[in-house]
Amino acid sequence: MTDRPSQLGRWYVAPGAAGPADGTLEQPFSSLQEACERLGDSPTLSHARAAEHDEGRVEILCIERARGEFAAAGQPTHAYFVDPFTPVEGNGSERKPWESFPAAFAGLARLAREDRLRLAVGQRIEISSREVFTATSLEKWKSIKESIARYIFLAMALVCVLPVVAILSFLLYKAWPALSIDFLLTNPQNNLTAGGIWAPLIGTFFLVLTSLLVAAPIGILAGVYLNEYATDNWLTRIINLAVMNLAGVPSIVHALFGVGAFVHFAHMGRSLVAAACTVAVMTLPVIITSTREALSAVPMSFREACWNMGATRWQTIRTIVLPNSISGILTGVILQVARAAGETAPILFTGAVLYVPIADAGWNYVLPYGPDDRFMALSYHLFALSTQIRGVSDELLFGTAVVLIGLVLLVNSFAIGLRIYLRSKKKW
Amino acid sequence: MSSADIDSVQAPPRSRSPLRVFHMLVDLCEPLVEWIIRICGWSAILFVFAIFFFVIREGSEMLFGGIDFKEFLTSPNWRPDSVVRPQYGILALLTGTVAVTGLAMLIAVPLGLGAAVYVSEFAGPKTKETLKVIIELLAAIPSVVWGFIGYIVLGPIIIWLTGAPVGINVLNGGIILALMSVPIIVSVAEDALRAVPDSYREAALALGASRWEIVLRVLFPAAKNGLLAAVLLGVGRAIGETMAVLMATGHAVQIPKSLVDPVRTMTATIAAELGETVSGEEHYGVLFVIGIVLFVIAFAINLTADLVVKGIRGGQHD
Amino acid sequence: MVKGGRWRPRVMDPHIGFENVTVSYGPQPALRNITLGMPRNQIFGIIGPANSGKTTLLKCINRTIDFIGTSSVKGRVLVDGEDVNRLRNVYDLRRRVGMVFPLPVGLPLTVYENVAYAPRRAGLFDRHELDELVEKCLRQAVLWDEVKDRLQTLGTKLSGGQQQRLTLARALSHRPEILCLDEFSIAIDPVTTMKIEDVLLELKQDMTIVLVTNLVQQAHRLADQTAFFNDSRLIEVGPTEKVFDEPENQLTYDYVTGGFG
Repeated sequence: MTDRPSQLGRWYVAPGAAGPADGTLEQPFSSLQEACERLGDSPTLSHARAAEHDEGRVEILCIERARGEFAAAGQPTHAYFVDPFTPVEGNGSERKPWESFPAAFAGLARLAREDRLRLAVGQRIEISSREVFTATSLEKWKSIKESIARYIFLAMALVCVLPVVAILSFLLYKAWPALSIDFLLTNPQNNLTAGGIWAPLIGTFFLVLTSLLVAAPIGILAGVYLNEYATDNWLTRIINLAVMNLAGVPSIVHALFGVGAFVHFAHMGRSLVAAACTVAVMTLPVIITSTREALSAVPMSFREACWNMGATRWQTIRTIVLPNSISGILTGVILQVARAAGETAPILFTGAVLYVPIADAGWNYVLPYGPDDRFMALSYHLFALSTQIRGVSDELLFGTAVVLIGLVLLVNSFAIGLRIYLRSKKKW
Repeated sequence: MSSADIDSVQAPPRSRSPLRVFHMLVDLCEPLVEWIIRICGWSAILFVFAIFFFVIREGSEMLFGGIDFKEFLTSPNWRPDSVVRPQYGILALLTGTVAVTGLAMLIAVPLGLGAAVYVSEFAGPKTKETLKVIIELLAAIPSVVWGFIGYIVLGPIIIWLTGAPVGINVLNGGIILALMSVPIIVSVAEDALRAVPDSYREAALALGASRWEIVLRVLFPAAKNGLLAAVLLGVGRAIGETMAVLMATGHAVQIPKSLVDPVRTMTATIAAELGETVSGEEHYGVLFVIGIVLFVIAFAINLTADLVVKGIRGGQHD
Repeated sequence: MVKGGRWRPRVMDPHIGFENVTVSYGPQPALRNITLGMPRNQIFGIIGPANSGKTTLLKCINRTIDFIGTSSVKGRVLVDGEDVNRLRNVYDLRRRVGMVFPLPVGLPLTVYENVAYAPRRAGLFDRHELDELVEKCLRQAVLWDEVKDRLQTLGTKLSGGQQQRLTLARALSHRPEILCLDEFSIAIDPVTTMKIEDVLLELKQDMTIVLVTNLVQQAHRLADQTAFFNDSRLIEVGPTEKVFDEPENQLTYDYVTGGFG
């Protein structure tokens, strides 16, 4: 607005001017009304035409008759707009512009005639032609709002993620001196205040393995039943409800169930099998659900093609459905493996204990726990070291935590990677 | 070709290759296989009822007669070890659970929904994928690790920041639970937002709405069932959490009066005390009753979340 | 032209027979009181507008209607004189009937395994015999030349027209006595359609073909007998020439002259 390459579009009004007027500085119009009528009517006022095309802007300034001064740049006193593409007849405002300069002049003339618009000395009227897609001030404000919104939501997302990443980095930093292969392979010593984490590590391994052997077959087959055999009746609805609720049971209630059902009722006592069964029941619902999802990703048309060739339901499942969904099923199972490794509550009272002395080499080193034995587990070990054992060095403590996190995240990442890889290898 | 060689398809071939025998056996066993599958399918019901059954069984003595329910639910005096007169009021435990969960949700719901909006509406595809993977990994962090973080890392920070005498309290537990619940809120909410048809967004854009307006005025109302379900599931997770609250909220059985008061939740109480009880004792039975209460609450929340989600499918007509 | 006539030609020893068959999906009737017979070794055409029950008719023949939970079938559907709903081994029935759907379906196996699927289920494992059978079926489906060098390609990676011919090859692989085609040419190009039509004319020497089509001219070209269905009822049936040139029913006339549907 301050840069004015030409003054083609600038017209002057000096109240009380006499003589022939053509709107220039030397011969200004005598009133706003005259200015608008003359500008609107006259096709020979080629300057007005030129203004339309060059700058798309016409100004009308009111000056002192004799002094030839005019207001410098700045916001015009009155701003009007013209938009050749406006669909409706407007009133010159930014939201409802006039559709051409002649229309603008006519409108302004009318306003002046009706005395609704007055131009005093020093004031300026500006009529600008708005291109369709230039931002109005309204839109500029909107896009600022949008950027703000974007940054607010981004900030929220970062607050969810960054603190945890920071914490994990801190843990890694504190644990670093302790992390080594030795740490993983040595048994805890000196009342758990020194040494490594082999005994709990191998204990977690066997716990997860055993619970997997129980949960995976039952869960996968249950998923097969629900997706391939079950019809939509009340029984199926109850089963679905049951699966969903099983998934939502708090982990401590699983522990209570394990104590009541496996430790006491099934006479397993506090043992590896009791804990494994408890963990199995805990991971079951998610295995069922992810199996169903994997199975339902196989299109129905494949099954129908097989049935029409005389294949039985099971043959179809065995030859087409399962082989093409096994990858999704596997991903679901692996994710539950990771979860089983990290859980503490279900094993607290069903078999995990603070300390079991195991050998440092030999068979007992590799296979220390029988199905009836109490065992050590990494998750419980971390709990105990944090809250119950005095004199544990920071690096030992943080090291245990980092190994547990690392183990869980590693298995999860593997499953996620598997899922991404398989998605790229789609067979249909 | 003559028809003679083709007839061999219909008559069983004479070769007895091991593959053929295997497949024959497998197909003969088909009815058996189908029965095993059927039984596995029914097993889910079995386990849910089994949980209910066994937990009630162990708590049955106390549940059916041993407990004065009025005292149980309204008294803040939890003194199971008292020699004189054991008291089993869980009011303090209930308020502990409510306080910690409430604080956690206060933090996690806005953050989680905001993050979900960012991932769903603003993030570019690469960012979206990365964030989703990160959030999935965060969801996988075990509960005991969170408790460890609360106890060892956050505790001292809280003491340093607030001058409180103890760092494990409602504030600690609330923050930890919030960080734990955020991933599930984000993923369910993001699913719900993604399920809103693009046509809604396009229509709003055509009317000139900014993204901010689209989110607040179009998407949230359209996805409200899914978002509500996300919140409910987050609440469910927080209420049922055991190890993290056990380690992060302290051991004081009291009704909290400020954010830095230590409390005990119901879950933590069971975890802390079951080891010291013997089967058949009163204390043992009462802990199982608390377990039943937890089970019922979790059941109710999950049922509501499920109904709310179904509400979408029932109500939406596109 | 006689309006509303219900004359039915007598079919002696029909390969497939329907006697007062009524099929409903829940409360919705899909077929009402159908009685007709399909003679052996002919192409039996079925025409009619959408939702007139044509696909349901086919599903009754090989009892894949059983897979639709809400379906109920009344009346008798006979293959070779036997009521299919009383058969003990329904899988055997399905092996005797080959089915080709409107949308091409390639199983996610190699082309070879697609065609070898049914024989393997039936117990054929000899590699040499399987090779011969696969080649024969692919030749019959006019697909052999295009895939003979890439039998190990995944069936799902073939083009639509190729997958439809693959479906035909699969249908032929268990040597059916009856071949049912349900609007097979919807999703394929005219050239492939013509090739398959030529094959059908040859195949009818060995089997009975039931051809459901929405292309009236296709029925005119191929079918020996034609039945016209409308709104779950059988309106008219008879030799194709008669149904097209001198139909007894006004509706039939309207349909075959392109009046509706």
